[in-house]
Amino acid sequence: MTDDRPARLYQAFVSQDPAQAIAVIEKARSAGIAQGQLFDQLFAPAMSLLGGAWADGAIDEYTFTQAAVVAEQITSFVTPPTTAQDTGVTVLLGTMHRDHHAIDKDITAAALKEAGHRVIDLGVDVRPAEFLERADETGARIVIVYAQLIGTAHSVSRVREMFHAGGRDDLVLFVAGGPFSADISLAKQVGANGVVRGAESALKLVAKITAGRGGGT
Amino acid sequence: MSPRSRQVLLAEGLARQGHVAPAVEACYEALRLDESDPLVHVLLSDLFLAGDFYDEAIEAASTAIELDPDCAPAFLSLGLAYDRRGGMWDQSILVWHELAEVAPDLVTAHVQLGEAFAAAAFEEEAIEAWRAALGLNAHEARAMYNLAVAALKKEGMATALPGFRRAGELDPSQDDFFFALAGVYDDGAAAPDPIDVAPDRDSRLGAAFALAFEEDYFSAVDLIRLILDENASDAEALALAGYLYLKQDSVNEAMAVALRALAISTKTPTAVYVLGAAFAKRPGLNRNAARVFGALAKAVPNQAMPHVLLAESLLGLQRFGQAKQAYLRAVELDPTFVRARFGLAAVFLTEGEYARAHHEIRRAAYHDTRRQGLFWRLYDDYAQGRE
Repeated sequence: MTDDRPARLYQAFVSQDPAQAIAVIEKARSAGIAQGQLFDQLFAPAMSLLGGAWADGAIDEYTFTQAAVVAEQITSFVTPPTTAQDTGVTVLLGTMHRDHHAIDKDITAAALKEAGHRVIDLGVDVRPAEFLERADETGARIVIVYAQLIGTAHSVSRVREMFHAGGRDDLVLFVAGGPFSADISLAKQVGANGVVRGAESALKLVAKITAGRGGGT
Repeated sequence: MSPRSRQVLLAEGLARQGHVAPAVEACYEALRLDESDPLVHVLLSDLFLAGDFYDEAIEAASTAIELDPDCAPAFLSLGLAYDRRGGMWDQSILVWHELAEVAPDLVTAHVQLGEAFAAAAFEEEAIEAWRAALGLNAHEARAMYNLAVAALKKEGMATALPGFRRAGELDPSQDDFFFALAGVYDDGAAAPDPIDVAPDRDSRLGAAFALAFEEDYFSAVDLIRLILDENASDAEALALAGYLYLKQDSVNEAMAVALRALAISTKTPTAVYVLGAAFAKRPGLNRNAARVFGALAKAVPNQAMPHVLLAESLLGLQRFGQAKQAYLRAVELDPTFVRARFGLAAVFLTEGEYARAHHEIRRAAYHDTRRQGLFWRLYDDYAQGRE
């Protein structure tokens, strides 16, 4: 059986009928084509037909342009979402007390958000007690503490102590920053569960933890 | 009036041809005749810089400035030497400030000043300097790359990536790449008048590419139409049509004709490029763009540009490690590729590798000023001003 959906979508384009185009897309969706596949399986073949019609003169320049406008209007229906779906995982991050380095943290926070995680960014110069308080408030189970100075890196142990004192040994504590990347044993020393080495590393570690715990906060 | 001596002219000639060692020798010979000529010192400074002798370059440029505080090429050389040597941010900021005063319309001075500010962690001042550069020239790609890096630091890759791509489009190397794929190079000859083009497919296509190269898009489209009227399945003509649509920001039209071209022949690299570039303009299509540019990088593995385009799509997918490999390949193929250097800097920032990121930005600055021939422009202006 041939799939005539791209032809119908193409027809909707050249008829300058966005409602009809959306109807074709919705039908395709209800027939089981996943959102992530709509572009490749439906939109791209329809656009190829459109390009062919322009090339062989079946439609004139004006119709081609108008059809492209309709294609523009319905693009959001066929493209994968720009941000990932909410994973339900809350990640708390901040830079250690007396440390004002933010770049690494900000880049990682944005990457985690884009991956669909709920990110609570506590900013810079965060006191150890605040990590615990906000973890309790938000239900976060993953905490990333940044420290770029040797002194502040050592003081991350106070965050772990605070978690222990608060009865929150279940919290996963990751550390990040130059001192931890340079000396892996320092992470163990301060009671961390692992070292985040940049945004991609954070994404992987959070995914690993989430997979291990079956998702959720 | 102080005309250039024969010895200075000899040193200059050798330096312009890239004969570094004989040029240095000629400079020392010129200094034996007249050690108070700032031109010779500034030449020496540029030569030392080319050889990565930063301290010597700093000394020679400083001497030139002492001899003449209006010696603009010496400020350029000194600033670049400070930046490349590293750890001299205060001096660097001062020098670029001076150059911006000596040559206020010099866009690069503002860009460099911004980079010096950024290296010293004065982010707001840096952004101001890059905006000033864009105020002087809205097409200044390096200022845009820097603003994209600044956006990355504050708001992450999703916000920064469109900036990298916009900057890349300002950079003529992306268009050059498209024409290189088609085998079209700047031979200095003017594009033909469409009326004079022979009525056969190859003549028309060749003329259409030449007209497109000269940005006469409407005449190029007219010729493409004539080709398609005779054969609507001409994939190369369709690919050029797609490029012309892209240049006019008609992304869907470009995508449609590129998809049609590839339906006819998958082995049309120009169409692959157009399709990838159209995908890259759509948020959410990074996966498609990565697939297309990945294929292009395989088809033309020795060209740096497809690796960079692939890397940018991978950044959009947050696959930073893979993006790094693609950027490294691009830099390996073309160490002077400014866009690849900035991209690599962005990846290093995502890894928390600030020093390496700034190193890449400094390398980009050096190659960008070389590519522009900025030293020689300032040098010639200065020498002519003296004469």
